Order: sequence, then structure tokens, then C-alpha cells
Amino acid sequence: MLALVARRLLTAIPTLLGIILVSFVLMKLAPGGPFDGERPLAPETRAALQSAYGLDRPIWEQAWIYVSRLVQGDFGPSLVYRDFTVTELVAQGLPVSLTLGGLAVILAMLVGVSLGLLAAIRAGQATDKAIMMLATVATALPTFVTGPALALFLGLWLGLLLVSGRGDGVAWLIMPVTALALPVAGAIAKLTRAGLASVLKQDHIRTARARGLPESRILLRHGLRPSLVPVASYLGPAAAGLLTGAVVVETVFGLPGLGRYFVQGALNRDYPLVLGVVTIYAALIILFNLFADLIYGWLDPRMRES
Amino acid sequence: MSLYEIRDLGIMIGDNRLVEGVDLDVRAGECTAIIGASGSGKSLTCLTPFGLTPGRFSGQVLLDGRDLANAAAAQLREARSQLAGFVFQQPLTALTPHLTVGAQLHEATTQAGGPRPSRSELARQLERVGLSRADERLDQFPHRLSGGERQRVMIAAAIAHDPKLLIADEPTSALDATLRREIMNLLDRLRAEQGLGLLLVSHDLAAVADHANQLVVMDKGRVVERGPAASLIAEPQEDVTRELIAAIPDLNEPPPRLPPVGDRQLVAEALTVSFPRPGWRRGTIQALVDADFEVGEGEALAIVGGSGSGKSTLGRAIAGIGPVTAGTIRWKGEELPERRGRSQRMRKLVQPVFQDPVASLDPQWTVADIIAEPLGFLRPDMLPEERIEKIRDLLGKVGLSEDQAERFPASLSGGQAQRVAIARALAADPDMLVLDEATSALDPLIGSGILQLLGELRDSNRLSILFITHDIAAARRLCHRVIVLDEGWIVECGDMETVITDPQSAVTRKLVAAS
Repeated sequence: MLALVARRLLTAIPTLLGIILVSFVLMKLAPGGPFDGERPLAPETRAALQSAYGLDRPIWEQAWIYVSRLVQGDFGPSLVYRDFTVTELVAQGLPVSLTLGGLAVILAMLVGVSLGLLAAIRAGQATDKAIMMLATVATALPTFVTGPALALFLGLWLGLLLVSGRGDGVAWLIMPVTALALPVAGAIAKLTRAGLASVLKQDHIRTARARGLPESRILLRHGLRPSLVPVASYLGPAAAGLLTGAVVVETVFGLPGLGRYFVQGALNRDYPLVLGVVTIYAALIILFNLFADLIYGWLDPRMRES
Repeated sequence: MSLYEIRDLGIMIGDNRLVEGVDLDVRAGECTAIIGASGSGKSLTCLTPFGLTPGRFSGQVLLDGRDLANAAAAQLREARSQLAGFVFQQPLTALTPHLTVGAQLHEATTQAGGPRPSRSELARQLERVGLSRADERLDQFPHRLSGGERQRVMIAAAIAHDPKLLIADEPTSALDATLRREIMNLLDRLRAEQGLGLLLVSHDLAAVADHANQLVVMDKGRVVERGPAASLIAEPQEDVTRELIAAIPDLNEPPPRLPPVGDRQLVAEALTVSFPRPGWRRGTIQALVDADFEVGEGEALAIVGGSGSGKSTLGRAIAGIGPVTAGTIRWKGEELPERRGRSQRMRKLVQPVFQDPVASLDPQWTVADIIAEPLGFLRPDMLPEERIEKIRDLLGKVGLSEDQAERFPASLSGGQAQRVAIARALAADPDMLVLDEATSALDPLIGSGILQLLGELRDSNRLSILFITHDIAAARRLCHRVIVLDEGWIVECGDMETVITDPQSAVTRKLVAAS
């Protein structure tokens, strides 16, 4: 177990490095630069700026400097938000994004698994069909539709919640978290139902039934855990996706999360900002996949062997 | 009065009436056994009254005075948890994979509302069914246990709450001979001491004759014959019963006539296979040590031994699908290297057939494709018409009709699937077949058909056969000689009849005594 974690963390280093280098090169290949504004800068000013940020050096040297600074925990300066370092921007945005993403994952799990469970128990009945139809709709609706729709109903028409920004308390979280969680909850409900339906046909369920256990105990103790294996394999990448998916939601609800910096950084060719955000996303994705693998081992001990 | 009484039981699944007019009694402290071919409705009869199959039933079912036929779901559940215990046929899948042995045993002990057992009580339950290192096993997950060990956990769990009736569907088929006997003795003791009633489905006629009081013979969903077990087995009245009993290999039957053996073909010298220990531990496991043997043309050699004795490892090494650590395998004097070193000509010499026929065939392929696959590789020059002709010929040889060529494995019965697997092996025109427990998963009638087919192939094609099994009585129907393996060592080797009548080692004596 510990060996697995250690090994996976070690292999994460070259993976991260690869991702950083590829994004670095791709970004430089894109036309335009951080100092292209509406008014062209005087050539001298431009050259001075370029050399101040080291952009006049060969690309491999720039990459090397970036990586060696990164190792020391320095994401470099932002080229567009001139008064801030990337580390500061990330420190501002990351907590917002993590709160949104984390709550969305929890909400999606709770809603998805319980609805999936309910549908599996009532397999073939009206409840099952209704839940599965809802789940399909939830998965199909993109967040840029559900987000504004929520804002319209709850914010504008009913006047219950703030349409944009944070305000006081935690009420501001309700709409963005719901919008984020909806499609994931739909997918989880479908996976749980399908997983449970196949697990309930297995021999060990008959053994549990032969013991005369109550149906609820058979479901929760003998059936649920193995049926969550597909959910775990979906949730690893999906959890990371919730943080990236937050770009749309953060924009719709005007929240200062990481996603917004990512989009603005990319549009402005703010190289260090984009790279910083990419690095963090990549690290999170690797971390979530590792979590998913550890959860497999808990869900089904047979998977610990390989 | 009976503990368990079934009158005029009929079982429907969907619109099919699968069981009809079955009467059955189990008295307290006694054992009633059911025998029958697969598909005769034995398992349905045992499980449906308790709501453990999708079937619906009619008739009268009384367990300890309670009416199961008119019981509501909750009462049926109570009958399962308090009065009955169940042992199912498939030990590999019958335990919940994510709960430890101890947790499942705990659940079984308290299912009837009994007091919470202590850890040592749970360990004692495992010791009762012959599991060593019981305390350690309480913390293990089922997949770390072998099939036999899991079956013993199943049995321990089924009797943990002191049920009045134990329903056991082939409880000992997965166990080796010695254990089979121990488990049956344990159940005898429980019957005598606690008045446990036992409803047993089994193919093990010797055990049935020794342990069962009543015997019920089923065929096509009906009872064809019933009576006291020992006398019914000794003097069956109905043809169905006679056929069934004749199909089950038995060491008391007269030895088969075997044709003479030809020239020496395969010679193995000092064959050794070792595997690295799993996990972090250093060292190796010796699966097979210094095995010397030879097989002649048209000769069938049995490899028998308990589970973990190295018999499959030996078979895989010979067939070129498993590793060889040291030693040589020669074919007519020419050395056979490991698989990668074998030329095309060498590869077609020895062909394998495996235990689970349905699982060893690709479900997406038709029977014709499966049989033709070796041809495509080993005989690329063959014309399509020749290939079709060859497939037809092979299907005939293994006793399948031509119209089965376009079917998929899932629609075949176990026996038909095993015949396809044999046809696939024969497609390469091999000189030798390696059969690893090829009849163990089949019911006796079908298994004896396969044994007969193998005998015909041995004689007409002068095929050499390596027959790996734990069932020495089945091997005797086919094989000239036998090798007995124990923990990787050959402990006995010789003529089949000599070994059976005068076994030299303790392991062989046990195997023979249990057959």
C-alpha cells in the first residue's frame, strides 16, 4: 500500500515535467505575446520588457529557468497582473476553486449514489425509469446552460440568491456547486445503478440472502461496495474535471477562482500564469487518480494484489 | 415426523414447468441425498422453496412445522436465517469479496439472533471444518484462500447458527478426496449430536452410499426412483438410475481393456519448475521438482494429486504454455525448448484442453472459427474448402453435429463446449493431448461421455494423452499408467491397476481410499 503510494508519487514527477514542457512549447507556438496591446509598444520598451522577463533567451533556456524556479516553489511573476506573482494569484483562486469542486464532488456522490441505489432497488419500475431519465438529462445539460438557468430562476425571478459574486455567508455556493455537481451526479447515478444491477446477480448475494439478512443489509453491506468500482474509476478524472469545469461556472457566477485566471492568462499570453495553473491542474489530476486507485483496493480487496 | 417435508412440489420459471410432483422428506438427524444429471432440477428443488431462485413453486412445504408454501417474504427470510443453512456449489464466488472471513462468519453466527461470538469462538468454527491457522484466516479476504478453503469457510458459515436443516448443493466437489471425507464425517457428527437434518445434492456416490439414509433420483424435473441410499445404489431398478450410477467412475468397477502402448514418444528428465515467491519475500516456490517420466504412442498417463500438488504446472510445462526452470523434455529424442523456442512443427505436437470449457472458448467466436484458428496458423496453405471440410470432419470426430458450427459458446452445454475445445486441440493434428481436469467441471454422465471420446481418440488416432485430475477413478477408465504428485514431487509412478491395488505412499492410499 505505502509502496504503491511512493511509487506512484515518484512516477508523477516525470509526468508533471513532461506536461509542463509540452504546455511550455505549445504556448510559445501560439501567435502573439504578453505585451501585445491595442497600442503597440515602442520597440525599446518592448525589448526592455522582453529582457526583464527573460523572454529574449532561447526557449530551452527559458524552460530550464522556469522549471528550476518551480522546484523552489516559485511560479514566477504574472506578466499581465504586474503587481502580483503567480503564487499570489493561485493562493487567491485555488481555495475558491477547491471549495466549489470539493463540495460539488461530495454533493454529486451523495445524490448520485443514493439515486442510483434507489433505481437499482426499484429496477424496472416507474421510480427507476424516472431517475434514469433525470440522470440522462442532468448528464446532457452543459453547465453553461444550467448555470444561467439557475441564476435566472433562483436569483432573478425568486430573488433568493445572489446572481453573481460572493456576498456574505455561504449562500453564494449553492448555485455554482449545484450547477457543477448536476452532470456528475447524473453519471454517478447511472454507474451506481448499472454496477449494483450486475453485483446483485452474483453468487455472494445469494449467500447473503440465504442467511436471511434483511434486503437493506444485503444491499448496503454485500452489494454496494463492489458496485462502486466503476464510480471510483469515473470519479478520479471527473473530480479533476470539476476543477477545470469550474472555468465556466466561475465565469457565469463571477467568482474569483482559478479557472478565471486560467482563461484570462491564456487570452493574454500570460505564460507563467497559464503554466502555473496547468501545473496545479496536472498535479491534482494525478493525485485524484491515485486516490481512485486507493479506493479500488478498499472497494474490492482483490484489486490490491495487482 | 419429518423435519422437512415436501409434497407434490412443482416449480415454474417464466412459463416453463421445470420440476413436477416431487415428494421429499428429511428427518432430524438423517441425510436425504438427491442425485441426477445436470438439468434434472436438483438445485431448483433444494433452493426454490426458500425463495433463493427466480422460480415460483406450488405444493406443500413444511419445515419444522412451518408452512413455507404460504409464507410471506418476511417469514421465509426468518426460516432461512433461523432454521436452515445453505452450502452452494461454487466456492470461488459464494463469499462476499470485500468482507473478511471473520466478518462473514460473524454475520453467519448472529444471523439467527444469537449472541455476538468472540474471536476465539469464530476461530474454533474454522478449526471445526479442518482449516489450519484459523485465527490468521479470520482477517483474510476470501480471494487469498484456495477453492477448498473457501468451501470450508462456506460450510463453517452455514452451520454457525446451529440450523435444523442444512441444504448442501455439492458441498464437497471442489475439495480433494481426504477433505471430502473429513467434511462428511463432520456433518455426520452434527447430525448425531444436534439432530441436524441434511439435504444433500451430490455426484459422489461413495459418499452418498456411506452417509445418506434416503436417496432420491431425479430426471427431467421428476423423481424417478427413491429408497434407502445403500440398497438403491447397489440395486437400482430404473434405467435412468442405472445409467447415472454407471457413469460415475468407481474403483470397484472392472478395469477397462486398454490397447498396447507403442514406441516411446515423450521423455521428461529432471523437470523442475519454480516460481518467485509473491510479494516482498525472497526465494522461490518449488512447484515441480525433478520429475522424470515418459509417455508412449497411444498411451494415456494420469497425473493425479491434491490441489497445489503441481499437476497443472507439469501439464503446462509439457504443453509449452508454462515455464520450465530446469530439466529437459524430449519428443522422439529431439529436445523441446520452452514455448518461444518451439518451432511451428513442435508446437502442434502437444495441444492442451482446460477445465472450464465455456470459459476457455472466446464468447465472440463461432464454433467453426474456434476450431479453425489453429489451422490458420499451423496450416496456412490450406484452401478454404479444405478448411470447411476439416472442420466438418473434426466436429464429427468429437460427436457434434455440423449445424453446431455456426453457434456461439454461450449457447452450448458444458459437455458440448468441452467437445469443441477437444476439436480445437485436434485441429492441429497433434500427437499428444494434455487435459487439465477436463472432466471435473462436468456432470458425471457428460464427463463419462468425454472420457469415452478420449479413449476412442487414443485408440483410433494413436494419440498420447496426459490426463491431469484429482479423481483417480475417472483416470482409471482411460489411463494405462499413473503418476501421483504431492507438493511437487512424484511420490508414486506405475501401472494403474498395480497402484490402485497396492498403493505404496500415504498420499496414494488416501486418494484411492477416497475414490
